Amino acid sequence: MTRRLAPYSIAIVGALLITGAIALIASRTSVPGLSAFYLLLVLWLGARWGGGPAVAGSVAAFLLYDYFFVPPVGTFTVSGPRELLELVVLLAVALVTSQLAATLRQTQAAAESLATESRALYELATAALRSPEVTVALSLLRERATRLDSVSRFDLVAMDFGQVTPLAGGKLDAEEMRQAAWSYENSRPVGIAISDGAVKLVRTLPASAAPAFLPLANGVAVIGIDAEHPDPDELRMLAALIGLAALLLDRRRAGLEAERARGFEASDRLKAAILSSLSHELKSPIAALRVGLTALVAPEAHLQPEQQELLIDLDRQASRLDHLVGDMLTLSRLEAGVELEKEPHRFADLIGTTLRQLRSDLKGHDVAIDVADDLPPVEVDEVQIGRVLTNLFQNALEWAPPNGGIAVGAAARDSVLEAWVENDGPSIAPGDLDRVFETFWTRRARGSGLGLAISKRVVEAHGGTIRAENRRRGPRFTFTLPLARVTAER
Amino acid sequence: MSGRVLVVDDEVEMQRALRTGLRYHDFDVRAVGTGEEALREAASWRPDVILLDLGLPGMDGFATLRALRPATRAGVIVVSVMPGEKDKVRALDLGADDYVVKPFGTEELVARIRAVLRRQADVSAGEPIVRSGDLEIDLARRSVTVNGRSVHLTPTEYELLRYLALHAGKPVTHTTLLRQVWGEYAVGDKYNTRYVVAQIRKKLGDDPANPRYIVNEPGVGYRMEAG
Repeated sequence: MTRRLAPYSIAIVGALLITGAIALIASRTSVPGLSAFYLLLVLWLGARWGGGPAVAGSVAAFLLYDYFFVPPVGTFTVSGPRELLELVVLLAVALVTSQLAATLRQTQAAAESLATESRALYELATAALRSPEVTVALSLLRERATRLDSVSRFDLVAMDFGQVTPLAGGKLDAEEMRQAAWSYENSRPVGIAISDGAVKLVRTLPASAAPAFLPLANGVAVIGIDAEHPDPDELRMLAALIGLAALLLDRRRAGLEAERARGFEASDRLKAAILSSLSHELKSPIAALRVGLTALVAPEAHLQPEQQELLIDLDRQASRLDHLVGDMLTLSRLEAGVELEKEPHRFADLIGTTLRQLRSDLKGHDVAIDVADDLPPVEVDEVQIGRVLTNLFQNALEWAPPNGGIAVGAAARDSVLEAWVENDGPSIAPGDLDRVFETFWTRRARGSGLGLAISKRVVEAHGGTIRAENRRRGPRFTFTLPLARVTAER
Repeated sequence: MSGRVLVVDDEVEMQRALRTGLRYHDFDVRAVGTGEEALREAASWRPDVILLDLGLPGMDGFATLRALRPATRAGVIVVSVMPGEKDKVRALDLGADDYVVKPFGTEELVARIRAVLRRQADVSAGEPIVRSGDLEIDLARRSVTVNGRSVHLTPTEYELLRYLALHAGKPVTHTTLLRQVWGEYAVGDKYNTRYVVAQIRKKLGDDPANPRYIVNEPGVGYRMEAG
């Protein structure tokens, strides 16, 4: 109370002092307009303490001036319009200056509080972002938040891959856990809202003791706000702290994801190592078998023709086993996630390479090639797409009639290359057109059912599609490949 | 005897099968199981061709190849189970003459060995004219003809074709071509070689979808058809 009255006392004392000073000057010389000294006082009062003390000062000044200097001296009588005018001027100056001063003071106070707030936030953010452990940074944040008078509680929990992990504070009871999870999953805040950079309470029950829940990037802030009329500055600060917490939680998630990716990478490496050792283990015996069997076919081995035939048959079986093992390993490699070496290639080159490799198998078959010279290049892994073409040609070879036609072609369609391999063999039952790409599905008694499944995976790994359809003359397999961004020939 | 073949493979069954099969084709064969033994045999026995399995215990195939190359003029055929293209490139860049993927038949292997031996003979004979089908490259006169019709190539195109012709039948990697044609410190990549090969094919009238002279080695480089 005394503190609030002090400015008024100062106003009155000041008015008395100035009255004394004026009396002193007036006793020596005769100077007109000495009452202007009171204006100085009123201005100062208004600037320093605002309207109330300034008005008090101006009233006191007027009364004192009137009593001591305005004739008739010694009375409060206002004799003429001149004295009345002086009073009005004094009062008006008091009101206007105090108003101006008050606005100024408020702006200054706001600026100061903003400066303090941003300095505090800056220091906190620096400390938080510098600390290698996100949890340490979050504790700093929590400590700062709970130092606010209006904030009784500030806990952060992370939602890691569907799991609630307390981070800072974060001792939640079962009901709170449930609410936090609900708020996070539905990304809906409970009992709180942030608008215009400040926290706003949204309560249906007045001053409910239950905490508010605010979902963040990768977690939930659990906040208790005590005061019925919390300080708006503090609510702004709280909103800023929450923003910082969201940033930190995001950083934490990025860290976790990188860690997880490293884990996957390690497991991919492990898979690749197992597959590589498996292929060695499975293929080495077949290798010895094939060299041994084919060695004995040489005339120098002096075997009977039927014995030679038997060996050739056995070698063919060993070859089949080799292809089957190879296909299975290829399929598991593709499933483990193969890294594509994508480069611009001319589709004609890819066809040429494959036809060359299959030269002996294709003997007696006429392969029609329909590829325009100006076909834009494709962006593919040539080894993998070579596999697709090999499988499709081998499939065509299985079904094409002896000396029957096989055709391959490609054309640009919109932003992809559409390529096809067709043969004049029997058509595929309409219900099987999709099933031919399933793993282990085959139309033949001896087929592995892997070639087309591998082709589908390779094409899809390139972002393309593959389909089977029946033309009048026989089945056609069509697949799409991405066009290269630059041309293979510059 | 049509040549000495050193088999380097750690599997006894494979050694025995190869020894039998290759002897039936008139080769003189010795077999060892480690890289160190291979180095010793290469120096003392002087084989013409070495069949080197990449999956050796201890000193592995690549290390053996690196040690072998300066010590012997024998042709080296690298043998491996499901090698990645990077392994093939690495082996070729380390000086291997060819690679064969396990499992293979004896006939196929014999054909590869003979091709390597033939190349060695051609190189030492210094034959000035290389033929691939109806393509003829006269190295002395620097002239190229297809079916008797003369083909004009730019110096870069000729250099690339010449290098492939000198190594006809052998897969040549993109890196080797870059170094040989553009120089030791060439700045460039596969696109350079692809572009030049496409130009050469066009001039030779070679259809990329059905190439007769220059064949793609997917993921590795190019090879000129021999003979």
